[in-house]
Amino acid sequence: MSTNQTTDWNALDTDIFRQTVRAFFEQNYPAEMRYPKTRLRWAEIKDWYMTLSKKGWVAPSWPQVYGGMGLSPEKLIVFIEEQERWGVGRAPDMGITMIGPLLIQYGSEEQQQKYLPKIIQGENIWCQGYSEPNAGSDLASLRTDAVEDGDDFIINGQKTWTTLAQDATHIFLLARTDKTVKKQEGISFLLADFTTPGITVRPIRNIAGHEEFCEVFFENVRVPKANLVGGLNQGWGIAKALLGFERIFLGSPKQSQYALSRVEEAAHALGLFGDQGFVDRYTQLQLDVADLSALYVRFVEQVKRGEKLGPDVSMLKVWAAETFSRLANLLVEITGGSGAVAGDIEVNGKKIDVLTSFYNARPATIYGGSSEIQRNILAASVLQLRS
Amino acid sequence: MTSDYLDTERQDNMRMLAESAQTFAIKVSPLTRARGLRGSASGFDRDFWGKLAEQGWTGLLIPEVFSGYGQGFGEMAAVVSALATQVAPEPVVPALVFASRVIENTGNGDLQQQLLASIVAGELIPGVAWQEELAGLQVNLMANAVVAAPTNSGIQLTGEKHHVRPGADCDGFVVTAKQGNDLSLWWVPANAAGVKVKSVALADDTSEASVHFNGVMLDESQCLAQGDAAMVAFTRAYDEALVMTSVELLALQKAMLNMTLEYLRTRVQFGKPIGSFQALQHRAVDLLIQQELTSSVLSQALVMLDDGDTNALERSAMASRIKARASDAGLLLARESIQLHGAIGFTDEYDLGLYVQRALVLSAWLGNGLAQRRRYALIASLSI
Repeated sequence: MSTNQTTDWNALDTDIFRQTVRAFFEQNYPAEMRYPKTRLRWAEIKDWYMTLSKKGWVAPSWPQVYGGMGLSPEKLIVFIEEQERWGVGRAPDMGITMIGPLLIQYGSEEQQQKYLPKIIQGENIWCQGYSEPNAGSDLASLRTDAVEDGDDFIINGQKTWTTLAQDATHIFLLARTDKTVKKQEGISFLLADFTTPGITVRPIRNIAGHEEFCEVFFENVRVPKANLVGGLNQGWGIAKALLGFERIFLGSPKQSQYALSRVEEAAHALGLFGDQGFVDRYTQLQLDVADLSALYVRFVEQVKRGEKLGPDVSMLKVWAAETFSRLANLLVEITGGSGAVAGDIEVNGKKIDVLTSFYNARPATIYGGSSEIQRNILAASVLQLRS
Repeated sequence: MTSDYLDTERQDNMRMLAESAQTFAIKVSPLTRARGLRGSASGFDRDFWGKLAEQGWTGLLIPEVFSGYGQGFGEMAAVVSALATQVAPEPVVPALVFASRVIENTGNGDLQQQLLASIVAGELIPGVAWQEELAGLQVNLMANAVVAAPTNSGIQLTGEKHHVRPGADCDGFVVTAKQGNDLSLWWVPANAAGVKVKSVALADDTSEASVHFNGVMLDESQCLAQGDAAMVAFTRAYDEALVMTSVELLALQKAMLNMTLEYLRTRVQFGKPIGSFQALQHRAVDLLIQQELTSSVLSQALVMLDDGDTNALERSAMASRIKARASDAGLLLARESIQLHGAIGFTDEYDLGLYVQRALVLSAWLGNGLAQRRRYALIASLSI
């Protein structure tokens, strides 16, 4: 059993806490899985998830009464920084990062008791059913509907871009429960078990050749009303509330720092540091990454002071994703004629993976709200430019 | 810019200083003053300089032992920012940061005492004469073409420096010179025999100067520092000037973005405010992002300058990094603000031009974005 209920992590000195977390990752996380090139599947990362679970560390942000570590924002940032530093792969973690905190805040006691322990124990794996074929950036126009029928809802429709749904046991989804009101006001937040009849999951192969996201079809899927989270038609507000604190991690500089180190390695192998044209571009990107860190620190400090993040955090996501993208583009460009080789190329005895960053950079500017949507948010809510 | 300081009492003081500096600048230095000084002989106003001295701002950074107020860079930034927002043409950073800090960083007690006291009193406006290339992209802090060489009658200073600000009505120069194989720093009054100042008009109607030292005789008492001590003192002041120029550039960025946003919200075409068009909104957001990157890096840079323990290479890297961001973001804001305004933004009558022209001057001064990135790359390669 974990030591969570007895350890007050927040009382620990930050440096000592950091050392503790670091030491645990370094000693326990499998070396061959550091900095995975793609999202890890449940089968690959399960053992690590269970290691964290046994340690009591699988849900760092949850309150201790629910089996979490109860970390303050400041300590949570340290925890995540250490994960990133050591290149710890991300498990299918929608249960930990999204539905868990949401149930803690909005769920009934019954829902909390039913679902939270199974997330901690790695028994239930959750995925997020938000996007639909015709509701992407305009998410509120979603059409999957849930019709009341006695003690149940009957769900019909389709979700898409559902990350790692093929590994999930459960899905939380937004569904339309009232078609007569303003689109944001007729949406409810529902839970569904994947063993319920009528649910079909079909993986989608992406251009990198991986099956990281899926389509999920609902055909007369009957879920009990007990699976409604929050009130009827309150789903939009609940889903939006989740977007607060987590958004900052989409703006972490780690992805760009890692890509920069790949560019640097490749440039050394290619002998490009004697080329002023390259060096000028490299330095510019190096500073884009450094300055991204400064912007990140600013929002992190805001969180640490206990302040809520405002809509301005969108600029962090834009700059992080677009800087990463520019670095990925540069790697393709400097490898010239080998810029289209699938897998590693070998230059002067050094292996260079040209395309993984390029492929990873494509969704980075799309998921979590595309760069264009982030700019819409910034224009409306920060610059007060109304459409 | 104040929130990165851990000392909350200091934060409060800086906020108060910023407010009083803004109030002062708006009242005493409206944009009409900046506009009115264009085309005047020196491009700035010595009476206004006297008012800065009355406020205590000419001595803000100067330690109390030299009759100043011993405040930090965070405090100085509050004043610099307020004046830059009003496009005040007085050479605050060139004289009160760059030149003053070289003098303060050196070890010549008597000369230091005398010069700094005059600076605090608002009686002396110094500049730094260090650049030898007219259009280089390499930041070279070592002097080569300007030489301090022994002759039968004493040490003689020969050679030419460029891009010296202020370019007119400057009372004297801190001059970097090569002496043997070393750098040396000298104080040379503008009226010394053999000094010839050629003013060069700048985009914002202030000026810089090319200063020719034609066998200027130097007395040992004019020497501020020599050798390693000179390079250390000069590099530090240069870095500090980069950061404080970035403070000015950020103030200009903010002023330009505010003007542009106001225009986007109120200018109606096709029956709607043009700021309702997504193409323009997204361009405005990109300007915001550059402004906030500048602001975030600048906060860290100021804290670093005020932290006495900072390693010199780290400080130089940070100074070049912030000047690169501030310069390029400043130019981007300038160009895009004109474009988003349309033709009105290109007229002399409209105040946007005042900011644009100052941004051009400050982004080029001390080394533009590209030059600073090259310096950063060089420092990064040294730090490994």
